[in-house]
Amino acid sequence: MSDSQGPLRAVRIVDLTDERGIYGAKLLADLGADVVRPEPPEGDPLRRRGPHLEEAPGGPTSLWHVFFASSRRFFSVDLDTEAGNAQLDALIDRAHVLLCCAGAFGAESERLDAALSRRPELVVVEASSFGKEGPWRDYLAPHIVAGALGGAVAPTGDVDTPPLNVFGDLNFMVSGVYVALAALGALHHARERGTGQRAHVPVHECIASCLEQVLMWYWYHDRLPMAKGPVLERRGGLHWTNAFQTMRGRDGCIFVTGAPNRDAQLAWLIEEGAAGDLWDPKYQDPENREEYTAVLMQCLREWVATREVGPLFLEAQSRGMAYGAAVPIERTADNPHLAARNWWTDYLPTVRGPGTPYHFSDTPWRIGPYGDVVADTEAVLSDIGWAKGR
Amino acid sequence: MRPLEDVKVLDFTHVLAGPFGTRVLADMGADVVKIMSAVRERGRGEDSPYSLMWNRNKRSLALDMRREESRALARRLADEADIVIDNFSPGVLDRWNVGYEIVSETNPGVIYVQMSGMGATGPWSSFVTYAPTIHGLGGLTHLTSVPGRGDIGIGYSYNDHQAGLHAAVAVLAALEGRRSTGRGQRVDLSQFEVGVNFAGLALLDWFGNGRSASPVANRDPYDNNAPHGCYPCAGAASDALVDERWVAIACMNDDQWRRLRDVMGDPEWARDPALTTAAGRSEAGDMLDQRIAEWTRGIEAEVVMERCQAAGVPAGVVQTGLDLGERDPQLKLSGFLVEIEEPHPSAGQTYADRLPIYFDRTPCDEYRPAPVVGQHNAEVLSEWLGMSEEETRRGEEAGYLS
Repeated sequence: MSDSQGPLRAVRIVDLTDERGIYGAKLLADLGADVVRPEPPEGDPLRRRGPHLEEAPGGPTSLWHVFFASSRRFFSVDLDTEAGNAQLDALIDRAHVLLCCAGAFGAESERLDAALSRRPELVVVEASSFGKEGPWRDYLAPHIVAGALGGAVAPTGDVDTPPLNVFGDLNFMVSGVYVALAALGALHHARERGTGQRAHVPVHECIASCLEQVLMWYWYHDRLPMAKGPVLERRGGLHWTNAFQTMRGRDGCIFVTGAPNRDAQLAWLIEEGAAGDLWDPKYQDPENREEYTAVLMQCLREWVATREVGPLFLEAQSRGMAYGAAVPIERTADNPHLAARNWWTDYLPTVRGPGTPYHFSDTPWRIGPYGDVVADTEAVLSDIGWAKGR
Repeated sequence: MRPLEDVKVLDFTHVLAGPFGTRVLADMGADVVKIMSAVRERGRGEDSPYSLMWNRNKRSLALDMRREESRALARRLADEADIVIDNFSPGVLDRWNVGYEIVSETNPGVIYVQMSGMGATGPWSSFVTYAPTIHGLGGLTHLTSVPGRGDIGIGYSYNDHQAGLHAAVAVLAALEGRRSTGRGQRVDLSQFEVGVNFAGLALLDWFGNGRSASPVANRDPYDNNAPHGCYPCAGAASDALVDERWVAIACMNDDQWRRLRDVMGDPEWARDPALTTAAGRSEAGDMLDQRIAEWTRGIEAEVVMERCQAAGVPAGVVQTGLDLGERDPQLKLSGFLVEIEEPHPSAGQTYADRLPIYFDRTPCDEYRPAPVVGQHNAEVLSEWLGMSEEETRRGEEAGYLS
C-alpha cells in the first residue's frame, strides 16, 4: 500500500486485473488509493513473469510483478471455498472501485453483477481483449497478437525486417491507462451524482486509438501531400512527415529533425559546410517543400554519420532543436536530468526503478513498498471484520 | 449525460500530446475550450488532418496572446476553469499572466497541468522534445528493433498519446484530491518521465541484475515463450511493401505449441523432442521462425489466424490502417470508427475513432468536429464570462479575439 499523501488517498479499490489492465491499477495505487489485489493461495500467476531478480532472499522474485503490482496490498484468498468467496465479496463491498479483466481471477460476471446490485454506487471497470461480442470475442491475444490486430505492429519495423512489436508490454500499458481513466471518470460521476456504473474497455480499440498517423492516413491521405495511399509502409526510424528520423551517428544512433526551427537547422548546416544546395532560392517556393525536406534529411544523414551522438545531442538542444540520442537502457538509468529531479525510486531494497510520471504540488505521492502477501492478507481480513478461526 | 459534464477545461495545448489528453476529457463530456489563434494556426491549418484528429469535441476561442486584451480575457477565463492545461515550455503561460501562482490566488480550486517535455525543473527543463526524442532518450527506440540495430524504434508517436492519457489521469486524480483538500494544485507532468516509465521492466532488470536489455525483434524478451513472431503470408495485392500480409503467432505455453503443431499438420521437424519445452523452442528460435514462415507463406493471414484461434493458439493478422477501417469485424460491430455527422466548417466530412470506454450509464457517444479558430467565441464568452454578443463582436473587430 502506498503511504503517500497522494490525491487518491480516500479511494478504495479491488484489483482483479491481469496484464491487460494491471498498469491502470498500478497508476491508481501509486497515486495513493488503497488498492487490494486478491490472488489464489498458489500465488498470482503474474508472479511468474520475467524478468526476475536472481539474487533475492527466498529465491528469484518477479520484477515484472514488482513493477506492475507496486503500492498494493496483496490478499491471498481461496475461491474454491465458501469462506473465500464471502471474503472477496466483503472486500468488494468496502470498495469504491472494482477493476477487473475478463477471465481473470475472481472476475466472474455473476460476482460483478451481484456487487453492483448490492451497491449501486460502485464503479466496476472491466477490460477485455475484443469486447463482449463479435467473432473475435474469445480470441486469445497475448501482447504481440493484441498489437498486431490493434494496428501497432504494422507501422513498426523497416523494409528489411518483419513488422515489429513494441518492446515489453507497451500495448497493454495503453489499455491499462484507459482502465484508470474509466475508473476515475466513473468515480467522478459517482461522487457528483451518487450512482456508480459499469464501464467496459476493449484492449483492441485502446491500441487502435493511439497510433498517430495510422488512422489519419486511412481517412485523410488525400489531404496529405506526402501520402500515396491509405497506408504508410513501415520504414524504420523515418517519421510520417519525412522530416524526423533516427539516424546513425559515428558511435550510436540519434533522433534528428530540423523542427521546430528549420532556419536554425539550415544555418547550422551552413556553418558546418554540410548544407549542399539547401540555400538555393528555389526551396523558398512552397511548391518545392517536399523536395526541400528530402534534400535536408539527406544532408543531415550524411552529416550526422560523421558526428558523435552525445555532443551532437547537447549542441542541437542548445540551439533549440529536438534531437534525442537513442540510448541503451543503462544510459537512461544514468540520465543526469532524472538524477537532478531526484526521480528514481526504490521498488525493493536493492532495486531502483521509475518514479512517478507526474508531480502534484499539494498531494505529493510516491510509489509504495512492495507488499507482503502474508501480512497484507491478515490486515485485509481485519479490515473486512473477518475474525481468525471463523 | 457523460461523466465529466460539470468540468470546465481551459486548453492551451498544441500538436499531439496535450490535445490528445484534452480530447479524452472532451469525449467524456468536459467543456474543453481550446485557445487558438489565427496567427499560430497560419501555415499549420486548423483543418489539417492532425488538428481534425486530436481536437474533436472541443470548442474554440480565438485569442491573440501577444495582445494585452487577450491576456486579460485569458486571465478571467482561468478564474472560471476547473482545469488549466498547457504543453508549452515552462514559463510561457507565466509570461502571459496566466501562470499558476497568479491564477491560484483568485481561483484556489484550479488544477493546473503543465505537461512540458522534460518537466518544470532540472538541467534539461528547457530542452525541446517530440515523441521520438523521448523514445530515444528513454531507451524505447533502442529496444524496439532487431539485434544489431538501434535506429528503428516505434513506428508512431507512442509517447505523445501516452503523455496525453497520463495528463488526463492526473487531471481526474487531482479532481478527486480536491474533494479531500478543498484546493486545486499544480501538476508538473514531464513527458520524458512518462516515457521512461514504459521502460520500467528493463530498468528494474538493469538496477536489480545489472543486465542491459537488448533488442530482440519479435521474440519474447523475458519469458522464453516460443514461437513468438510475425510471419509472412499469402494474399498480397502487389509486391509493394505496403501490401505485404503478415500474421503474428505466439505460443505462451507448451500446450499451445502442441496445438500449433496440429494446425500445421504435425510436420516431421516439429516432432523434435527438444521443442517440447519453452526453453528448447527458444533455443531453436531461428529454425522455428524459418519453418513456420515456410508454412504461413502459402496461406492467407486471415486463414492462419482463424485456424490457429480455432485450435486455441494465439494468432492475429498484422493489421494496417486499411484493415482497421475496412476489414476488422470487431471494429465494425462496435462502431468504433465513425463518420462525424456535423460537417467541419472547412474540411467537410471528418471522422472519429470512439473513446474506447463504454460506460453503461453515462455513454460517451457524442462526436463533434474539431473547431476552427474562434468558432465558438460568442458562446464561450457568454457562458463562461457573461459577455454579450456585442462585446464579442467588438473584440473580433479589434483583433484580440482572432
